[in-house]
Amino acid sequence: MSTINWLFYVNFAIFSVFLALFITELMGAVLLLVDYEHARKPVLAHVVPIWEVTGTFAAFWVVTADFAYPSMLIPVATLLAAYIVVFLILIVARNASISFAEYIVKHRWLDEKKLYQAYAISTLGIGIVVVIILSAIVSGAGVTLSTLSFSIVGWITNPGSLPYLLGVLVIGVALAPVFYGIEGLRRWTLPLASLGVGIEGAALYLFSPSFLSSWFLVPAVLTVLPALFFQFPKFAPIVTNKIVFGAVAALIIFSQTYLVYPTAFHGGIKVDSVTTQGPMVGAFLVLTAVGIVVVGGLMVLYLVVVTRSPGRATATPSPSVPTGVQHP
Amino acid sequence: MSFPMVNFDRFLFAFTVGSHILLVSLSIGLGILISAVEFLAARSSDKYYRGLARRLVRPFVVSFGIGTASGIVMAVELVNLFPGFMTLVSETGVIAIFYVEIFAFFLETIFVVVYVYYGKTFTGRYTRWLLTVPIVAGTLLSAVLIVMVNSWMNTPNGFNIGAYLSTGQVTGVNPWAPFFTTSTGYEVFHVLSAVPLTGLMFIGGYFSYRYFRAKGTDERELFLRGLRITAAASFFFVLIAVLSGILEIEGLYTYQPLKYAAIELNPNPGTNLAITLFGSVSGLSIVGGIQIPGLQGMITHHAELPGLSQFPSADWPPLIIHDTFDVMVIGGAILGLFLLVYVGLWIAHRRPYDRPLFAYGMGAFSVLTAIIMEFGWATDEIGRQPWVVYNVMTVNHAANYSTGLLVPGILIVAFYLFLVPFTFYFMVRVFNGQALEVDLEGPAAGSDVNY
Repeated sequence: MSTINWLFYVNFAIFSVFLALFITELMGAVLLLVDYEHARKPVLAHVVPIWEVTGTFAAFWVVTADFAYPSMLIPVATLLAAYIVVFLILIVARNASISFAEYIVKHRWLDEKKLYQAYAISTLGIGIVVVIILSAIVSGAGVTLSTLSFSIVGWITNPGSLPYLLGVLVIGVALAPVFYGIEGLRRWTLPLASLGVGIEGAALYLFSPSFLSSWFLVPAVLTVLPALFFQFPKFAPIVTNKIVFGAVAALIIFSQTYLVYPTAFHGGIKVDSVTTQGPMVGAFLVLTAVGIVVVGGLMVLYLVVVTRSPGRATATPSPSVPTGVQHP
Repeated sequence: MSFPMVNFDRFLFAFTVGSHILLVSLSIGLGILISAVEFLAARSSDKYYRGLARRLVRPFVVSFGIGTASGIVMAVELVNLFPGFMTLVSETGVIAIFYVEIFAFFLETIFVVVYVYYGKTFTGRYTRWLLTVPIVAGTLLSAVLIVMVNSWMNTPNGFNIGAYLSTGQVTGVNPWAPFFTTSTGYEVFHVLSAVPLTGLMFIGGYFSYRYFRAKGTDERELFLRGLRITAAASFFFVLIAVLSGILEIEGLYTYQPLKYAAIELNPNPGTNLAITLFGSVSGLSIVGGIQIPGLQGMITHHAELPGLSQFPSADWPPLIIHDTFDVMVIGGAILGLFLLVYVGLWIAHRRPYDRPLFAYGMGAFSVLTAIIMEFGWATDEIGRQPWVVYNVMTVNHAANYSTGLLVPGILIVAFYLFLVPFTFYFMVRVFNGQALEVDLEGPAAGSDVNY
């Protein structure tokens, strides 16, 4: 293997794009639950045309992870089997509720609002499961590698776990108004983002002081920056731009590779030693090069169509009255 | 505890795939139909074709959304339920097929999004139709690639199998070989005809019923146009399915003779063997069933045909695959005859769609087509048992024995038992979600999304 583990970095880059897209949905989900009438228009304008793409990136990441770490499949399936099935149920619930919501005509008690909120709840559920699994992979909280077992009680009782989950939620709530351009919540974004980053730092320290290295400054600064820019009308349009925000979010996630490389599960597993070897490395890189052209080309096409589209060209009028909402 | 868990893994995956292929067939059928309707709408500027496209997009998005989710469930379940199998897949080139599948998936997804949510912004006469072409290509390519994986499971290649069986180590990997196994061509050809056939028959059955019960001229014209396309396309695909099915039997004779002997219920090898419809084997004799002497030799063109006695009985698949195979073949033959008469009468201007027998018959045959496809899939999968990778890895070696899967697995089953029927019901509801006049006179398809 070369000195740089390209398979790890490619897989992590795909994961970063998936998670960045998913986080934008997650932030929308929070707003749909908190204030549906005001959030409906800006949130759905983003979420409805993007949720299928998020799901496709999730599948992309799963397949590249299978490709890169074949020897980890049995341990992961044994460790996290039950949680992965819960994740799957939530994925189906998410897709079902949003695709039903897109076309439902009110029928007795079931209407568009209830279905979009069901989508929001399942998306939040997925977010929580993802955070639990990711934090376990980073810190080893609740994980006993020698017996390949995972205990949710063990995860909860680790001092870093709940603060980690809380920190993610606070950051999500802080940046949601930035991404969706909700000016009424402008003044809350910077203090909440700073608080979230502080909680995340504390959580990582509680997991292990070694996680709080100078690398942490990169995601920390990148997280606070959008909230800071949002305070100034001159700079706000930069960070409310969906593409810019998405790119920054992906960069924030990618900058945290140090938490799982060169070792994951808090030193429990050396990533290089579980990465595929031999001719499969060449095949992975060839297919990834093809993928960059194919998927990259398709994403460019998608972005061109979205950015050149005159607003929500095919949307029906919203039943809501969005006061104080800046439309994308 | 290990025995029940491996069977639970089997059941859960079979249940998920059995549900998934119904949704995907409908998705592929809808995709093909929407593309055809958009083309005809562009060529003729016919308001009924335009209205039909607008109506079809709504159930298509629903089936795409649910189908995508159940596809992800399947992909993750493979790792979760059969980690030993996925480890072998990931150490050989088979994972490369899954990788390419993702590109097909992206092609489909991006164009679905552009066509559905931004389609109105394209004003060229044929542009909307052109947007549907990559959708159809993406869905069909996804089907082709997943069948390639199944072909590899039936006829594995691309690594040193002998060394793997003796040492458990994967060596001599050729990452590209699994794209082209000895069974790939046969399987891909057959699935590419059977899956669109199922989806189009589903839709055709519904159109036939709705046409027959239609109240006004607009409704009749709309459903008649839909029925014309689905009937013609179904007839085309059933012909291809028969041809590809015969070729696949030929292929089985060569690459999986044991499976061939089991589905044909040949206790002993021989020449000019009879076709046995149903029946069973006791010892090495056939009990019951209907025998048609000499027909097997005529169909396969081979003098010497394999029999079960040539193989150790421990390797035999469950012989129920003979019955599932017979249901598939007999059902397919009856379906083919029905469509032949239906299309023949239509060509002769005898208006089969106005006759109750054919109108309701089309509906009944749409259900039969789904049953045929499920039985065909069961024949293939059960016929490979006890192997997950033929002659390389058994299901027992591949499975996950964690009992932690039990409760969430049952939850998935319960959820699907509610979701799949509800999805079909909901698709019908959204198809009829707007008054017909609105769909006929309104803007292009995809313009009625709630957002």
